[in-house]
Amino acid sequence: MRKIHIRVAMVYITAAILFLIIRSFVVPPTFGEYDWYRGDSVREIMELPPQHANATVCKDCHSERYDLWSGGAHSTVSCESCHGPSYSHTKDPIIVSANVDNSREFCGLCHAQNPSRPADFPQIDMDTHGNGNLCVVCHNPHSPWVFGGE
Amino acid sequence: MITRRKFLKALGLLSATAAGVSAKTSRAEPTEYYDWSKHYYSFVVDSTKCIGCGRCVRACKLENEVPLEPFFFRTWVERYIWLKGEEEPYVDSPNGGFEGFPVIYDEKAIRKSYFVPKLCNQCDRPPCVQVCPVGATYKTEDGVVLVDEKYCIGCRYCIQACPYGARYLYPFNGPRKSRRGTADKCTWCYHRITKGLKPACVEACPVGARKFGDLKDPNDEIHKLLDENRISVLKPEQGTKPKVFYIGIDTEVR
Repeated sequence: MRKIHIRVAMVYITAAILFLIIRSFVVPPTFGEYDWYRGDSVREIMELPPQHANATVCKDCHSERYDLWSGGAHSTVSCESCHGPSYSHTKDPIIVSANVDNSREFCGLCHAQNPSRPADFPQIDMDTHGNGNLCVVCHNPHSPWVFGGE
Repeated sequence: MITRRKFLKALGLLSATAAGVSAKTSRAEPTEYYDWSKHYYSFVVDSTKCIGCGRCVRACKLENEVPLEPFFFRTWVERYIWLKGEEEPYVDSPNGGFEGFPVIYDEKAIRKSYFVPKLCNQCDRPPCVQVCPVGATYKTEDGVVLVDEKYCIGCRYCIQACPYGARYLYPFNGPRKSRRGTADKCTWCYHRITKGLKPACVEACPVGARKFGDLKDPNDEIHKLLDENRISVLKPEQGTKPKVFYIGIDTEVR
């Protein structure tokens, strides 16, 4: 082997080592932990705080409302569908989300007559039904076929 | 002058470093409490039940810090209307269905109409992952496609690669600072499902049109839904193998 060959080889090896050193600084440590992505990213996404809890958690404190609701026609409607995200409320009851919108328009989001809705879904003519009164004057929103409002 | 022994020593050192790098790729669990190899998720949308109230769109936005103004959606609802005497359907989605759907055609003029909720299909062969130049989007072991907001360079390639339009660029005035200018999409609420909770849209749906389940759990209700209904996926011709299954949609729904 001549001297020049070794010199060229040294240049190549130095370049390769330099590349590896720079790479170790630039590429995040967990990149490639599972596949060609940053492993920490999965953990970061998993650790995001939830906003919505679940109706079963609501039961722990609001058992009376829960019983009325779970026996009625609105039992498929989760508490948070109307009351809004309440995970923080379940952790610290002092944090209370904004009041429920009890306007006719809000109830109409589901129950206004619309030809695109399934025919067997209860829909009403917003113009004539209830003479413009708030829905909750007659219907209990937790169990709509219990009359007399909230 | 370098001796052969020195050269071999250097080579040995180099290969040791390489071995150290490859040792990092061994598959460990993301966290102690969750084993992602024991789960494989799936989503069923029953279009025959959807009433187009938009509660899912709202719940998703509140859960995932999606800007509340239009037109940023991780999930949205479309309305399909076939008018009498017309071949092609009319499709609309006013503000993604966030404020419901106003009646636009008289019932007598309509041949057929229904709502179709849309979200990321979490494809088994995701084109968005394939095109990402930096490895910022990837498929997890439990079958969810995620975006690394710290690594995304905002090149938008994945947004145009998605055949379902499920991705959007998080705006520069969005509420979550670390996500600004990066691609964002539905994660099936990965932070919730890994804790045993349901995705926010499933939680919020008042009629049970959205169902979420674990295919690796034999007792999950998702098996019953998939076995007892005629199901289809969106754009099967794309070969993306979606994991969101639809009940009761026509081939015009894409």
